[in-house]
Amino acid sequence: MTTAPAQAPAIELVNAARWYGNVVAVNDITFSLGPGITGLLGPNGAGKTTLLHMLAGFLAPSAGTVRVLGLNPSRDPSVYRRIGLVPERESVYGFLTGFEYVRFNARLQGMRDADAASRVAIERVGLQDAAHRAIGTYSKGMRQRAKVAGALVHDPQVLLLDEPFNGMDPRQRLAMMDLLGEMAAAGRTILFSSHILEEVERIGTEILVIVAGRLAASGDFRAIRALMTDRPHMITIRSSDDRRLAVTLMSDPAVFAVTLHDSELAVQTAHLSAFRRIIATASRTAGVRLTEVSPADESLESVFDYLVHR
Amino acid sequence: MTLIETRSLTKDYGQVKALDRLDLGVEPGIIGLVGANGAGKSTLLKILLGLIPPTAGSASVLGLDVVGEADEIRKVVGYMPEHDCLPPDVGATEFVTHMARISGLPRTAARERTAEVLRHVGLYEERYRQIGGYSTGMKQRVKLAQALAHDPKLLLLDEPTNGLDPTGRDEMLDLIKRTGTEFGISVVVASHLLGEIEQVCTYLLAIDAGHLLQSAPISTFTQRTAVLAVEVEEGADRLAAALAGLGFKARQDEACVLLALDDESLYDAVRDTVAELGLPLVRIQQERRRLEEIFRDDAPAAGGVQ
Repeated sequence: MTTAPAQAPAIELVNAARWYGNVVAVNDITFSLGPGITGLLGPNGAGKTTLLHMLAGFLAPSAGTVRVLGLNPSRDPSVYRRIGLVPERESVYGFLTGFEYVRFNARLQGMRDADAASRVAIERVGLQDAAHRAIGTYSKGMRQRAKVAGALVHDPQVLLLDEPFNGMDPRQRLAMMDLLGEMAAAGRTILFSSHILEEVERIGTEILVIVAGRLAASGDFRAIRALMTDRPHMITIRSSDDRRLAVTLMSDPAVFAVTLHDSELAVQTAHLSAFRRIIATASRTAGVRLTEVSPADESLESVFDYLVHR
Repeated sequence: MTLIETRSLTKDYGQVKALDRLDLGVEPGIIGLVGANGAGKSTLLKILLGLIPPTAGSASVLGLDVVGEADEIRKVVGYMPEHDCLPPDVGATEFVTHMARISGLPRTAARERTAEVLRHVGLYEERYRQIGGYSTGMKQRVKLAQALAHDPKLLLLDEPTNGLDPTGRDEMLDLIKRTGTEFGISVVVASHLLGEIEQVCTYLLAIDAGHLLQSAPISTFTQRTAVLAVEVEEGADRLAAALAGLGFKARQDEACVLLALDDESLYDAVRDTVAELGLPLVRIQQERRRLEEIFRDDAPAAGGVQ
C-alpha cells in the first residue's frame, strides 16, 4: 500500500480524459480541490457522471492522471475506505431494509462496529423511523437518503454525490443541504452535481462547470463573473426619478448604457467597482431617492448561462 | 367556475391514510402543488383524473364529479406523468396523433392538432424520429404535447422539469407559463422545487400528511417584508454603526446591513450615509419572504431586526 503525500489536494486531475470508443466524454481536464463543498455543473451529457466515476475509481482515465487523496483510485483500492459515492442511478436493493443496506456498506468498508456506525448514519439522514422497512417500499426521497447514509457510514474524507437532491421534497432538501454543509465545515471534501442552480448557490460559491467534456470554469462563481470582462455588468435601479438619475449616471465614465423601463432603470457598466463607488454620491447629487439597487447578472444562474452559451 | 373542489376527500390504502378529509376550492390559474414525499400529491392527482375512487368524500374538476363523470373529465383534462412512459420505437408525430385520436379527435383533426402542439412545445424536424433516441428535454416536450393534444381546459403536470438541465428547465417553465397565460389553460404543477413554483405559478396548494397545509395566491408567500437589506463591498460594520447612530434599527449580517423599514426617510439616510462613508454599494433591496418558510419548522419571523 502506498501512502499519500501529506500535502496532496483531496482531488486532483491533470490533463485527464476519458473516451468511449469515438465519444469523448471528458476532454483534457485539469483541476484540484481541497476541503469544502463544490458544485459540479453542466448541461446534460457534458461529462459530469463520467468525471465522478473516474474519481470513484469505476473508470480509469483514457489519458492523464486522476488522484484522490494522493492515490490513483482506479489502481489503489485502499483509497475506497476514504471515499463515499452517491450514484445517480437507483443502486439500492429493494429487498433489504434501509438499516441492512447501510450496515452492508459498513461491513464492506471493514468497519468493526458496523451496527453502531449504521445507526449513526441512518440518524444523520433522518431515516430512523423507516430504517427497518424494506427499501422497496420507500419513496424516491427516502431511497435517496438511504444511498447517502450508505455512502457516509464510514465517515469518508471525500464524498462524491451525483444529483443527490433528486426526488427529495422541500424539507428533505433543506435537511440534506444542512448535512452537507456540516460535513464540509468539518473538513471533508464534497463534490456534488446538480441542475438546480439556486440550490447550488445556497450551498456554496465554489463551482466546477463542464461543458461538452471540457472544464469551462472552476472556482468561486463570483470571481469567475468578475473575470468575464467582455460581459458588461447589469444593475437594476428603482428610484424616485429614474429619468433624472439616468442623466446623471450617463455623464459618469463608469456607465456606458442606461435603459429606461416602466418603473425601473437598467444600467450597464464595464467597471463594476467604479460604479459601486459612485452610485450613492451620484443619486445624492441628483437629489433622487434610491429605493432599490440590485445586481441583475451576478447570480450563479447568469454566470452559468454565460459559460454555457458563449 | 371552480376549477377543483373537494369535500372531506379521504383515501385509505389499508392502514395508510393518503388523504384525510381534504377540503379544497381552487379557481382557474397556474397552480403549484407541493408537499412532502408521501403527503398525498400523487393520490390527489389520480383521484382528480378519475383513475381511482376516493374512500370517502367527493371531488369535482371543472364541475364534473370524479366518480360519476370520469369519462367527461378525461375529455377536458390533459395529464403529463412523471415517469418515463413514452414508447421508444415510434416518432413523436405518430405518438401524439395516436393520443389525440384516443381522446376522440377525428383522423384529420388529430393530425393537424399534433402538428400544432409539437410546434408549440418546440419540436420541429426531430418529430419524425423515433422517441427512443430523444434527449430528456425532448421527451419531456413530447409528454407535454400529448397532454395538450385534445385541447384540454386543465393540465395536470407531475414534476415536469425532472431530469432537465438548467437550460431545459428554463425552456419548460417558460412553456408552462405561456400555455397558462396565452392559451388560457389552467395548469396544476406538482413539484418539489419551490423556486420553480415561485417563478411560474399564481396560486399555491401545499398538502402535508393528507391535510391541507396552505392554499393561497403565491404573492401572499413572497410579500415584501419590512426589512431593507443594504449590501456593501466593505465597511458594513461602519455603515451599521452610522445608521444606528441616526436612530435606525440596524443589524449587520456579514456584508449586509439589515434595517427596519419603518419610515421612507430611511432610503435617504442610507444613500447619504453610504455616500459620506464612501462605501462601494452592491445592493439595496427590500427583503422578500420565501416560499420555503412554510416548510421551515424554525422559520424566523419576517421583519426580525432588533
